[in-house]
Amino acid sequence: MFLYVIAYDIPCDKRRKKVADLLEGYGQRVQYSVFECQLTTDKYQDLRRRLRKKLKLTEDSLRFYPLSRHTLSQVESWGVGPSVIEPPSSIII
Amino acid sequence: MQTLYVSQQNCYVCLQKETLIIKQGENIYGEVQLPLLEQILIFGSSQVTTQVIRACLLRDIPIGYLSRMGYCYGRILPISRGYRQLSRYQQQLSPIEKLITARAIVRGKLKNSRVLLRRQRQKRESEVLEKVLLTLDYLAEQAAQAETCERLMGFEGAGAAQYFNAFSECLTNTDFVFSGRSRRPPGNPVNAMLSFGYQVLWNHLLALIELQGLDPYYACLHQAHDGHAALASDLIEEFRAPLVDSLVMWLINRKMVNAESDFEFNNGGCYLNDSGRKKFLKAFLQRMTEDIKIDNGEKQPKWDILNQQVRAFKQFVYNHSHSYQPYRID
Repeated sequence: MFLYVIAYDIPCDKRRKKVADLLEGYGQRVQYSVFECQLTTDKYQDLRRRLRKKLKLTEDSLRFYPLSRHTLSQVESWGVGPSVIEPPSSIII
Repeated sequence: MQTLYVSQQNCYVCLQKETLIIKQGENIYGEVQLPLLEQILIFGSSQVTTQVIRACLLRDIPIGYLSRMGYCYGRILPISRGYRQLSRYQQQLSPIEKLITARAIVRGKLKNSRVLLRRQRQKRESEVLEKVLLTLDYLAEQAAQAETCERLMGFEGAGAAQYFNAFSECLTNTDFVFSGRSRRPPGNPVNAMLSFGYQVLWNHLLALIELQGLDPYYACLHQAHDGHAALASDLIEEFRAPLVDSLVMWLINRKMVNAESDFEFNNGGCYLNDSGRKKFLKAFLQRMTEDIKIDNGEKQPKWDILNQQVRAFKQFVYNHSHSYQPYRID
């Protein structure tokens, strides 16, 4: 399980919306175009595969930064916005 | 294993982009990220939209439909799971290989039950406990040499009767009375919790068995009849005492559940009600996500033990000379 910081720059509104919607399913939005996702390797590959289909690489830019558990504890968050994401867990309703 | 449990009644689960919304009328109970889920269990009469079902089928997420007390009616699985190469190897297991595995499973179950009671002995003196410990030890040795499956089932039954006798000795909360195991229907709160716990665990095992591509209908100890997923029943045996019984004991002795307000009686049986189910599932989940040390000193959540055992069984099916070793506590 890694924490992935995923940042994008996408000029086309429609594509940007689709990418953001997809990322909402895998993690949480921490800034306008920055997401944090705690994912297993499988889920990460899954996300990459699905993102790839939505992008136009001649115009868009996407960056994935994996953070190991070691550095995770040193992540800081200043100012407004959500705190650093927790690993996903089961839900009882 | 990330699971969504819908234990509230009359909920409505719908899909909004990549998120599941669980609501009741205008009330939103929760939002869940669909891609991170591994399975969904619906207890009782909540609704799931076709859009959700389709999304789950596409992503290989099984949906289990269970009664409020946890009995599994059935599951929704993608069609690709129907192709079962491994099951051919499973069918080729010889009677003697099955018997050897069945022996190991029964022995493992009796041993684990014994360890649970042995731990209790350190807290209280009891003659019954001492006697049962000896009997279980004897039965475990007998089971290791049983020549037929019928005899094996006999030892297992005798062991269970003795074990539950001693189990009631270990319950210190006087609100709960337990004089032996009763099921279909469970007769009192203790049995209601045991039944519910076994069912939840059984369903998790069934899901893992399917995920690994094993055929749940070919087993070693239990007879597969009329579509009974016997392999899940085989593999649950070694986990009953360490995962469910110890949890039930803890919930009762620590007064985490209330004999009055967490149960309901209907149709001649006793069942957990809405609040009881939630409490039980919460405690169960918390235990399953706790880290424990494994043999090589690494830590992992308890969930992984289930997965490991299913994988071990798969190894045995692929290569019969690897005998199946049940999960053991000590």
